[in-house]
Formats: sequence, C-alpha cells, structure tokens
Amino acid sequence: MDLDKINVILATDCGSTTTKAILIEKVDGQFRQTYRGEAPTTVEEPFADVTIGVVNAVTEIGELAGRRLVDEQGRIIRPASDGEGCDIYISTSSAGGGLQMMVAGVIKQMTAESAKRAALGAGAIVMDVIAANDPRKPHQQIQRIRELRPDMILVSGGVDGGTTTHVVQIAELIAPAKPRPRFGNEYKMPVIYAGNRDARPLIEKTFDESVDLKIVDNLRPVLEQENLGPARDMIHDVFLEHVMAHAPGYDKLITWTDAPIMPTPGAVGNILQAIADRDGINAVGVDIGGATTDVFSVFNGTFNRTVSANLGMSYSISNVCAEATMERVLKWVHLPMEDRELRNRVKNKMIRPTTIPQSLEALVFEQAVAREALRLAYKQHKEFATTLKGVQQQRTVGDTFSQRMSGLTIVDNMAMDLLVASGGVLSHAPRMAQTVAMLMDAFEPEGVTYLAKDSIFMMPHLGVLAQVHPDAAMEVFERDCLIYLGTCVAAKGVSKPGKPCFKYRLHGSGLDEAGEIRFGELKLIPFGPGQEAELELEPARGFDLGAGSGKRVQSKARGGTVGIVLDGRGRPLVLPEDPAQCRTLMGDWVKVLGLYADSDQ
Amino acid sequence: MANMISRERLRRRLPALWYGTWLLRTVFVFVFIAAGAAVVAAPPPAPTGLTAKDHGWDKGTAVDLVWEYPGEAALDGGFFLISYAMDLEDDFRIAGQTLGYETVYTVNGLTPGVDYYFKVVAVNSALEESEAVVSEPVAGRLQWVDGSRIWFLITVMIFCGSVVYFIRHARKGRPLKVRKIAGLEAVDEAVGRATEMGRSVIFVPGIQDMNDIQTIAGINVLSRVAQIAAENSASLEVPTTRSLVMTTARETVQSAFLRAGRPEAYDENKINYITDEQFGYVAYLQGQMVREKPAACFYMGAFFAEALILAETGNSVGAIQVAGTAMPAQLPFFVASCDYTLIGEEFFAASAYLTGSPEELGSLKGQDVGKVLVAIGIVLGVVFATLASITGPEGLNLESYHFFQGFVDYLQGTVLH
Repeated sequence: MDLDKINVILATDCGSTTTKAILIEKVDGQFRQTYRGEAPTTVEEPFADVTIGVVNAVTEIGELAGRRLVDEQGRIIRPASDGEGCDIYISTSSAGGGLQMMVAGVIKQMTAESAKRAALGAGAIVMDVIAANDPRKPHQQIQRIRELRPDMILVSGGVDGGTTTHVVQIAELIAPAKPRPRFGNEYKMPVIYAGNRDARPLIEKTFDESVDLKIVDNLRPVLEQENLGPARDMIHDVFLEHVMAHAPGYDKLITWTDAPIMPTPGAVGNILQAIADRDGINAVGVDIGGATTDVFSVFNGTFNRTVSANLGMSYSISNVCAEATMERVLKWVHLPMEDRELRNRVKNKMIRPTTIPQSLEALVFEQAVAREALRLAYKQHKEFATTLKGVQQQRTVGDTFSQRMSGLTIVDNMAMDLLVASGGVLSHAPRMAQTVAMLMDAFEPEGVTYLAKDSIFMMPHLGVLAQVHPDAAMEVFERDCLIYLGTCVAAKGVSKPGKPCFKYRLHGSGLDEAGEIRFGELKLIPFGPGQEAELELEPARGFDLGAGSGKRVQSKARGGTVGIVLDGRGRPLVLPEDPAQCRTLMGDWVKVLGLYADSDQ
Repeated sequence: MANMISRERLRRRLPALWYGTWLLRTVFVFVFIAAGAAVVAAPPPAPTGLTAKDHGWDKGTAVDLVWEYPGEAALDGGFFLISYAMDLEDDFRIAGQTLGYETVYTVNGLTPGVDYYFKVVAVNSALEESEAVVSEPVAGRLQWVDGSRIWFLITVMIFCGSVVYFIRHARKGRPLKVRKIAGLEAVDEAVGRATEMGRSVIFVPGIQDMNDIQTIAGINVLSRVAQIAAENSASLEVPTTRSLVMTTARETVQSAFLRAGRPEAYDENKINYITDEQFGYVAYLQGQMVREKPAACFYMGAFFAEALILAETGNSVGAIQVAGTAMPAQLPFFVASCDYTLIGEEFFAASAYLTGSPEELGSLKGQDVGKVLVAIGIVLGVVFATLASITGPEGLNLESYHFFQGFVDYLQGTVLH
C-alpha cells in the first residue's frame, strides 16, 4: 500500500457497550481527526453481529462529514474517491469482555510472571496464573482450570536447556482438565507453548487432539532476558483466528479491516510505546473504567501493562472504598460529608453504573474515589513492572552495605516525562484542573512532568493505525488525541510547612516570572496550550527536582489548558491525620487550582 | 710562650688555692650534717580522727576508713600506710597505702562478720613513720544487694525488659519492623533459578562442627532453603565436613520437606558427610560444582581459607550465590564473589527474620535495644575521654579535666565494673 496516497482513514473501536468510530483526513497536508460517531455495540442478541454497530457508527460519521462511507450493501466503501469512501479501515475490539487468558509457568515470580507480562502486553486480562510453586494442590488447580473459560492459555516454563520435568507437570495439569473456550463449543482451546525448547516433544505428547497447540520461541530463553515478541504475536494471531472468528459477526469484520483487529488495551499500549520510542521519553498512561483500571508504562524502552480488575468507578467502586478505606477516601474531600450518605452513594453507583454526579458533593466524592482507585492501580503497576528476577548479580567489595536486589520496580516517578489520562472520570471531568489534581494526587509525579488527557479515547484507534501508517498515527496523536493540560513541577522530599522548597524562574512565550515555593504550597501559573517556556529550578537542601538533592535543574515547561502547577507539597505526599485539618488543607488546594466554581469553594 | 708563663704562675699559686677550697668544703659538710640531723629528729605527725565504717551494698568484705591529717605539707612526697588485725596484740597486716593527700581508703578482702582493728601510719619521703592511729573494732556486714553491680542490674533489666516487651508486642499481632535483608529475600530467587534451569541447589554449612554458633545459624537458614526447594520440587544437596552436622542437616531438611507437604521428595542420600579435612572437602565441592553446574549455592557457617575458592568456583559456573558468615576475614571475598552476603549480625538474625515468630522477633528487637545502649556508652566514653585529654591534666582547664576524667573513670570503674 502506498502510504502517500492515503488521505482518509476510518477507525472503529468495538467496546462492550459502544462502538466508537473516528474519521482521520488529510487537511492541508497533515492528518487530523475530523469527525467522530458512535452507536451501541451489537455483539449480543438480538443482533448478534458486531458489524451492525460498526455500520451504524460509521454511518453517523458519514452524515456528520457529508461523506458516504457505507454502500447499499452495508459495506464500507474503499478506496476513497470524491466525497465518498475511505482509504484504510482499521478496528480494535474489547467487546464481550475483551481477551481473557490463563497463563502458566514454572516459578510464579519468573517464567510465569514473564508469561503474564506477555499476555497483558498483548491486551489480555489474565484470569489466573498456574505455577509449579503454586501453594494450591494439583486437584485444586485442575478444578480452577475447568471452572475458568479463558479464550486461550499461554504455557511457559524453564529456560532453554532447563527443566523439562516441571513444564511437563504443568501440561499434565492442563491436559486432563480439558478447559473449554468461552466462545464456540465446537472449536478447540488454543494453547500457546512458549517454554523450554527441549520440552517441546514432551509437550506435544502430553496434549491430545482436544486442544489446538501452538509452539513459539521461549519467552524466557535465559533468565537474564525476556523475549515476549513471538508469544505476543501468537496471542494476536490466535485472538483473530479463534476468539474473533467465533464471536458474532467478527468473521465478517475481519475481512473488512486493512490491519489485524487488535484487543483495545493492546492497541493503547502500542501507541504509548510508539510515542515513547519516537521521542525517547518515559511515559505512563492510565485508563480508568467502570470495572477495571489499566495502567501502561514505558520506562527506558520497557513496556509494561497491568489491569487492576477490581478497581473501577462503577462496578468496582465498592471494592475501591473497601481497599482504600473510606477514611482515606474522605481525606481528598474538602466539604463536610456524612458517612452514611456516602455509603448509599457508593452502592447506588454500583447498581446504576451509568449515572453521573448530579451535585457538587457527588462530584467531589467521585473524584476522591478516583484518586484512590488510581493510586492503588498505580501501586499494583509498580509492583508488577520490575526488573527480571532470578538474575545473577555481579558485585564488588564496594557493594558490601548496599546489596541491591533484583526484582525492583522500574517505575520511577522522577524519570516520568509524560502522564496521559483517559477514562470517564478523568476525560469528562467538568474542569480540566480537576483532571490535573486527580493525576497529581494519585500518581505523585516528581520533577518536571507533562500532563495530558486522551480527548475522546482515541488511543486504541491510533494504536492500530501506528501499525499501518505510523506517521499519520503520530500526527493525530500529537494534534488531536492528546489535550495537554500543562506541566507539573514537584520536588521530592519532605520538610516543615513554610520552609523553602524550591525557587523557580520561567521565561519565554511572553512569560517572565520568578519566585519561591514553600513547603506545603501549591501554585498555578496559567500558560496556554502550544506555548513553551524555559524553566530554571533551584531546589532547597533536602529536595530533589531530578538532578539530585539541592541541585539546579533546567527544563522546559509546556503550556496547556490548565497551565503550570508548582507543587511544593513534597513527595511522598503526606496528608494530615486529623480530618478537620485535612479538610482545611484540601480546601486551600481546591482554591489555588480553582477546581470548583468560586461559590462552591 | 704566653701560655707557658701563665701555667708557671698557676703552679706557684696552687697551694694557696687548695687550702682555700678545703676550708670551704669543710664548712659545707658541717652545715649539711647539721641540717640532716634536724630532719631525722622530726618524724611526721600522726593522723587523727580515724573512723572505720562497714562499706555499704556489698558482701561484707570491705570497710571504709576516713582520717584527718594535720601536717599535709610535711607529707608531701610521702604516703599513708594502712593495716589491719583481728586483735590489737596480733601483728597488723598491711592492706595498702594511699598518696599523701588522700585520707580515705577502703579495705577489701575481709571476712564478713569478724571485728577488725585498723591502723593508719603516716610515712614521709624519708620513709620516717609517724605514730600510728588505731580505730575501734569494726565488722563488715553481708548486704542483700551488691551496690557495685547496680549498673549491671540496670542494664540487664533494660535488656530483658525490652525483650519481654517486644515479645508481648509481637504476640499481640502488632508489626515489628525488621529491615529487609537482601540475602535472605534472595533465597526464593536463588532456588527458583535452580528450578527453572533444572539444576541443583548446593548448601554448604561451613567447615566447623555443631558446637560453633555459626554452624547453628547456617542450619537455621538451611531449613528455609529446604522448604522452598521442597515447594519448588528442586534438588537440594548438602555436603558436610562433620558427621554431627550431617545428622542435624538431615533432620532439618526432612522436617522442612514435611512442612512443605512433600515428605516423599526427601532424599537423605543428598546430605552427605565428605571428610573432616578442609581441603579434601573443598576439592570434592569444586569437582561437584564444575561437573554439575548448580544454579544456586549457599555458604552459611564458619569459613576459612576455602571461602574464596568455593565462591569463585560457584561464580564461574553461573550460580546465584548467597553467603553468610561472621568471619571478618572471609567477608570481603564473599561480598566480591557472591550475589548476596549476610554480614555477621544479619546472619544470626536470619532465624527470626525467616520464621517471623513473635518470640524470635521480640528477642531480636530486644537485642537491638542492648546494642543501642552499648553504642551510646561507646560514644559517650570516646567523647569524654577525648575532652579529658584535650583539657588536662596539663591542658586548658583543670576543673573541666576533673569532670571529664571523673566521668570516664566512673564509666570504666563503676558502670562497666
């Protein structure tokens, strides 16, 4: 396909409830997202055909754009000609709960963890992890495998030339359990084997004809290195061949698309990785939904994704309050609230997940819960995104008292350059400053960090597009997908309130401002989108802004819809124990950032 | 020529000079003898007001003496001689002496409950003795509490009290923070590596017998290693140099396999006695490592010259190695060639760290309190001794010197007594 001849791109994301379509067109030589349409997803009965929802969403776009995109037979018109059709059509899917997998490995913290990483990176939800050092008895494990109905199973274990016994033992747990796939009773359960090369013949012998065994390169050929690519690719292939082919209407949709359909979270990870690779930055993305929260990160080129299955804003809201405790949630609230009323509010949200806050109290409370959900999800992500375990260390005598362990988190808030938010509570917050506050409070970025949000949850579409037309994907990502909220400048360290935290000087794009931030202080400097200013920072002793304790930092501040936030609250962010004191403090921060209408503050 | 004349003149005048100096010398000798006779004629004055009192808070073997001395100046360079007897008719036995300006003394080594007479005599620099002063008879009484051990009592009370407190604290389910010890955290990882690689785990419990505390500490770690090996279905080998260590290791590993719910996987043939000979043992281990290429090696116990040989061999075969020893000379070798090293106290804390039992954790915390007290004593002693050496006795301020030196003496003589 000649990329220069591509002018009109149509992309859809088939979600569980809504099918979202966007139109990308070349305007003045640059790709821009121009129109957006959506329609209910039709994967369930009575329609039981996903393409009906796709056609409806695309038709809506066509009407908005004044461009005929669907022909009389209900098919997408290609290629584009004057006033009709598109050059490329791509799609992602998370309909029917997305891709659900079970993974297995020899040691839970080693090959099983690598397998989990491969599955999550491919956009799957990992339902369970089976390992040789699993405390459950074999019959319990078999029972669990029988109960779960995953879309596929990924088996790993042993380095190349390593153990075969343990790998075969795992296969011997799965084979007699005869797991049944979620869709289509007639098709065989796909099992991907990505373990010890030497165990392949034994694995082939262990599984009978009732499973569809696929063998790929070992995802952990040596303990010092991961090779997740082949396993991820195979997961995508199996997703298309088996899972999608057996979901209602997907067989037709597959023939329509110009690139393989990807699981939605996999596509989001793709675009984040692509942008981090291109700009050489470390980025974190978050998508907070009703039932789950996905966190994506790219640090020094290493991509990680986690799905926090019980942290969400509607179906899982009760779990968030239980896990974080109501006391902790209320620390983020500046208004007096009654405990009983809040509990009712939580349960109402759980049973009526599509409702949105109708009063200021409801909004403030929902955003407080969101802070905790995000904080907990990010904590889980940090625990998962680690260096490889089981790796031999090389030491010198200098390491006598500082023996660093392997398996430490690679997530470093100080090294984080970009934080991207998506998901209802973040994307649709009435004021952008509220999104900024939620991100800062939950993620506690350190140093200089740009904050942005996905305008209309376009990242999945662009993730697939990046595979077909990377330049178009990047252009749209920069111009239309991301809404830059501003820059957060926060010093790492703790002191007494009122003590100096850091000095700053901002100059450029009509801005020339200098001053000092004291510990506990928060300051907002309005600085519009598209503007950039030189930033000179001088932290006080005991505070770090990226160059070390008390060392000067020079950086760039990027403007946004909110501006530049100078955060002297310290890291880690510690809230007072006394509720009244905490409420007063939150009230101050709310005023500084202008989070709610003046009359409500 | 000039010199010859002057010598001739000198010879002519010499008899007159000789007579002159003879006269002078004679006068001096007389004066000196007269002065000497005057000194001999004046012995030092006798001490007065001697009182003897039972020394308090002791086992009845000491009596405190206090006296006065009117002629302090005359005793400059002299001393007081103290002696005692059970009867005035008996010969007095010398107890000790004090310097001329000290008029107190504690006589030790007496029999409790027996009356003694005490005698003090002043002796001047010419070793002339004064008349003696004798006290009333006094007997030492046995006391319930030995006052000289009061600091020891306080220390023991604090130490034991903190151990008991922390054990109770832990039993109530309250968390006791113990910092992460990388070497012990890495046990799971090392055994996991061996499992993934399909290779064995070697555990070396040092080359000393079971009477060495380090071997016992090593066996505690072995229990944990064996349990993880059992859970992972990994192969564990324990070659030993002492038959008693082998027996202990076998029982430890067997109970660990039982705990892990895999008693059938226990194989006692993997826990062997090799030889008592240090280098025979090393040669066996080296051969085994090179042949079998274990993926994890643990060295936990007392090690000597074999430490570096074993650790280097393990490193060269690509094993994750975790060492633990309290032998200071071997620690640098282990640190340089092993992945993780437990240093001294960390090694002994392993048992509490791994089991997490309230009793052991409480003891560990209690010991920490003891260590903090010792550290405070060391710091204070060093600071005050340094200040004492700066200020005097020929330094800046004699009063300060006495204060600082007094503290150091009290610390040494009373607190650490």
